[in-house]
Amino acid sequence: MTIVWTNILFSIIAFGILYFLLSKFAFSKLFGIMEKRREMVLQQMDEAAKTREQAVAYVEEQKQALQQARQEAQAIIQQSQVTSNNQVDKLLDQAKAEATRLKDEAVRDIESEKNKAVEALRSELGTASVRIASKLLEKEVKADGEQEQLVDQYLKEVGGRP
Amino acid sequence: MHEMPLIYVGGIPIDLSAVLMLVISSVIVFALVMLSVRNLSVENPSKLQNFMEWVVEFVQGLISSAMDLKKGKPYISLGLTLILFIFVSNLLGLPFSFITEAHEPVHIFGHVIEATKNLTHGEHVEILWYKSPTADINVTAGLAIVVFVLMNYLGIKLNGKHYFKHYIEPFPIFLPLNIIENLAKPVALAIRLFANIFAGEVLITVILKLGIFSIPFLAVWQGFSIFVGALQAFIFTILTMVYIAQMTIHEEEAH
Repeated sequence: MTIVWTNILFSIIAFGILYFLLSKFAFSKLFGIMEKRREMVLQQMDEAAKTREQAVAYVEEQKQALQQARQEAQAIIQQSQVTSNNQVDKLLDQAKAEATRLKDEAVRDIESEKNKAVEALRSELGTASVRIASKLLEKEVKADGEQEQLVDQYLKEVGGRP
Repeated sequence: MHEMPLIYVGGIPIDLSAVLMLVISSVIVFALVMLSVRNLSVENPSKLQNFMEWVVEFVQGLISSAMDLKKGKPYISLGLTLILFIFVSNLLGLPFSFITEAHEPVHIFGHVIEATKNLTHGEHVEILWYKSPTADINVTAGLAIVVFVLMNYLGIKLNGKHYFKHYIEPFPIFLPLNIIENLAKPVALAIRLFANIFAGEVLITVILKLGIFSIPFLAVWQGFSIFVGALQAFIFTILTMVYIAQMTIHEEEAH
């Protein structure tokens, strides 16, 4: 091989021009894009981590909300149980009272009816016996207060035995 | 032996073949890179952009194996240009070469080609026009000189007095040895690259003489030559980075 000094020069110049053109028009842009992609990836990873954190926090929040709701439901059930028990007691008491009242009323009614009947029977019997006696004793009995008193006493004895 | 198409323009020798091949490989590298950065996209890179980014990352890996990547950032462009230029240059001569046969003095652009000047009747020379530019020692020497100048300049600029101190270490008597070592670096770079590619092309020429039987050998050797071309581009680039790192980075532990 022969050494040709201009060849050396030409290759240096060609390489220099190529280096200059490439770094001016191509590599700076390429490096910029690669840097941008690196940043984008970092940012996306950051965002993903943040999103995951948020998701975890959200799940935690949801869990707590669920727990709270459960507790509330439990409380409501307990309260309703208490209320219904109270209601039942109250209703039972009411019913008992009503029953007692009705019974008392009935007893009273019966009593008064009986008294009325006894009274009516007594007066009926009185008049009837007086009439019978008057019919029997028409001649000898006068309108004597002593005898009438006797009859009354007798009748009372009869009525006093229910 | 193939001759180079050398002409003298006003006493200045110009090797037309070297000029042609340098232009071709520069244009190919430039076109390749420009195509790959034509539609740059952060989100949706094209295939060519992906390829070029892979090359960039490869060169970054080379540099970071030689020095701290923070310090090596300015050299990424240099490494990229080197590796692409040398790789493309190495491959250019593989598919074919272009040879003309001259039987009498040939004139081109009004100047006579040196090798054909003294041809008499009956003689002929073969002039090699198309080959790998890196199969010419002048071109590899040019690249090596670029690297040599650059590494010494960077050494003086970034390393200051340590750069000069390195020449008389460990003892002042080592000065000539250190100078030879420094000079041997570009020589080794130039000759290694030239010899590998030139030998590859010579062997292709030799294999072609087998005629039809050359096809299997040629296939094997072409494949191997692609590997060698890539390997030599890789070696040239990583040695450049190692030399720059040696020259520019002063390590206290080393003394």
